[in-house]
Amino acid sequence: MTWVTKSTAAPDSTTILRGLSSRKRVPLGSEIYNRLLETLYDEAAALDERRFDDWIAMLSPDLVYQAPIRMTRTGANRDRDVMRTMFHFDDDYTSILMRTGRLQKSAWAEDPPSRCRRFITNVRVGECDAAGEYEVVSYLYLERSRGDNPHNEQLTAERRDVWRAVDGGGYVLAKREIIVDQSVLGMSNLAVFL
Amino acid sequence: MLQQASLVLRDGTTLDDLIMRDTNEVSLRVMTDEELYSHEMERIFAKTWLLLGHESEIPKSGDFIVRDMAEDNVIIARDRDGSVNVTLNVCPHRGMRVCLGEAGNKPIHQCIYHGWAFKPNGDFIGAPVEREKMHGNNVDKATLGLKKARVHLYGGLIFATWNIDGPSFDEYLGDIKYYMDQLFCRTDNGLELLGPPQRFVLPCNWKVPGEQSGSDGFHTLTLHRSLMEGGVMGGTAESIYDQAPGMYGVDVSCEQGHSLRCLEAEKTFKMFADVPFEGKSVEERLNLLTPPGITKEMIPQLFKNLSADQVEQLATIPPQVGGMFPNILIAFIFAPRTDGGSSGALALHTYVPRGPNQVEFVNFIFAEKDAPEQMKRDMLQNSVQQTGTSGTIEQDDADVWPVIMRNARGGVSKHMTLKYQALHGHERPEGWKGGGLLYPGFTKDDTQWNWWMAYHKLMSEA
Ligand code: FES
Ligand SMILES: [Fe+2]
Repeated sequence: MTWVTKSTAAPDSTTILRGLSSRKRVPLGSEIYNRLLETLYDEAAALDERRFDDWIAMLSPDLVYQAPIRMTRTGANRDRDVMRTMFHFDDDYTSILMRTGRLQKSAWAEDPPSRCRRFITNVRVGECDAAGEYEVVSYLYLERSRGDNPHNEQLTAERRDVWRAVDGGGYVLAKREIIVDQSVLGMSNLAVFL
Repeated sequence: MLQQASLVLRDGTTLDDLIMRDTNEVSLRVMTDEELYSHEMERIFAKTWLLLGHESEIPKSGDFIVRDMAEDNVIIARDRDGSVNVTLNVCPHRGMRVCLGEAGNKPIHQCIYHGWAFKPNGDFIGAPVEREKMHGNNVDKATLGLKKARVHLYGGLIFATWNIDGPSFDEYLGDIKYYMDQLFCRTDNGLELLGPPQRFVLPCNWKVPGEQSGSDGFHTLTLHRSLMEGGVMGGTAESIYDQAPGMYGVDVSCEQGHSLRCLEAEKTFKMFADVPFEGKSVEERLNLLTPPGITKEMIPQLFKNLSADQVEQLATIPPQVGGMFPNILIAFIFAPRTDGGSSGALALHTYVPRGPNQVEFVNFIFAEKDAPEQMKRDMLQNSVQQTGTSGTIEQDDADVWPVIMRNARGGVSKHMTLKYQALHGHERPEGWKGGGLLYPGFTKDDTQWNWWMAYHKLMSEA
């Protein structure tokens, strides 16, 4: 999702868009579906194991990585709840490199690191208009354990991705929109990637 | 002689036992005590002015947003006459919330329980089945409106208070207004909120981030050392404590507990290390290092809206970070680029109490309304990447505060004290134009101690 909405605090300019928008479905169990699912699992493992170089290698240099805020709405606008004017993450490839670079130095928020488990489910895949690009929608369930606190912090979200096939096999992430479910996040910071 | 504080907790502890004015210490117990918290709700949050949002969130008649004044949920609505109204979101009938959404547009707010209806200004319209007088047999409708707060708009920021006859907003701001105006009242069309605020909760008392908002500059060197490692601020990772970038300036404050850190911007940034600012005119300086959010084309507006002295300060030693008592943090962060451009980040936070053990961090991100769209875009990105939920600066703050909170619960730990004993004392730098309490040189504990003194003062007044 690039910068499409004009900056505004008035919420009704926001779009409803969620889920899979592609009409050309890549069926569950097909070769491409399986390989993309495997890619999502590999990505989750790289992030859970804090192998940031491996994760960066899975990102495309034209990456758009955003997490719009979510709001509680009523009436005619009850489903217009994804605010694409304000974000929890608003990043590109360069800023992600800045973030991962920081994580290798003095980023106290992740030093000591939290122990994360990313559960990726409900994966649906469609073909994009551009050849070799796939829209991949998944559910994310993140459990995050920090310090000696026996209670994990949790976060659920829908991720609307575009993965692009690259020469030599495999896919890179070109776009990710993370639609969190909480209007008020219960996680005390987002020092981890979603 | 120190005036005797009138607050006494059930176990006999007085306010002066908790806030030790003779030694400049504060007992860690203040962060967890439930009884103290309930007094704070009445003596601070029901008394002082609180920041709720910005006018640009409710541009049209009928537009509304819902926010919290501490634990009291309120509706902020624009009425047909253009006025901004703040009313308690509690139905006077049986206590249901009248407005369940966070934002929208409604000419009439109708409670979903029994259907009582209210105007955007809170006035009672009526109950369904009018002929049956379900609002009461002999009750005057004029008494059945939503409870109204007193509202003040400052630079488009919406402030409200329950203290209807209390101090005016200007009295609340005091001497800090001269400096705040340089941030909030400097352009023709003012600031614009770029989107609804980020919201998240932290497991700590509101005063843990609160006391830091009293201009704790010192923590930046250690907690935010990644700023130096990343090469943004002056100095290198090895020389952080030698060079102490961003530490020397003039901290300004006032007895109301507000404060701002004024810093010579060029000294904060590596890229200006070799650029001579000495001897340059105010215009030349503003062109070299334009305040965050301002374009070079907007510079004449500064001269129009501010006094010559205020513009000179903005060009020389601008206010950059600080806070307003009790629970507002201000960050007007410079972000000069090597291509000569500058966008920066403009963010305000409120730390809204949600019980003694929890605080909601509300992050408002701004740009100047007149700025070009691309600049707004840059500022949004800068602010999101540095502040709030995923901000690389404030991630680290959010990591510290809950840990302090856990410590404050220990039977032994809670008697430890927060120390504000590194004091400079008020001193007026030569040629300084603004008023208030002034602390030139290395940033010390004075402004944060003033924050606690403002706290002490309000808590002593029943
Ligand atoms: S509680 Fe609102 S109408 Fe009864
Ligand atoms: Fe900080």
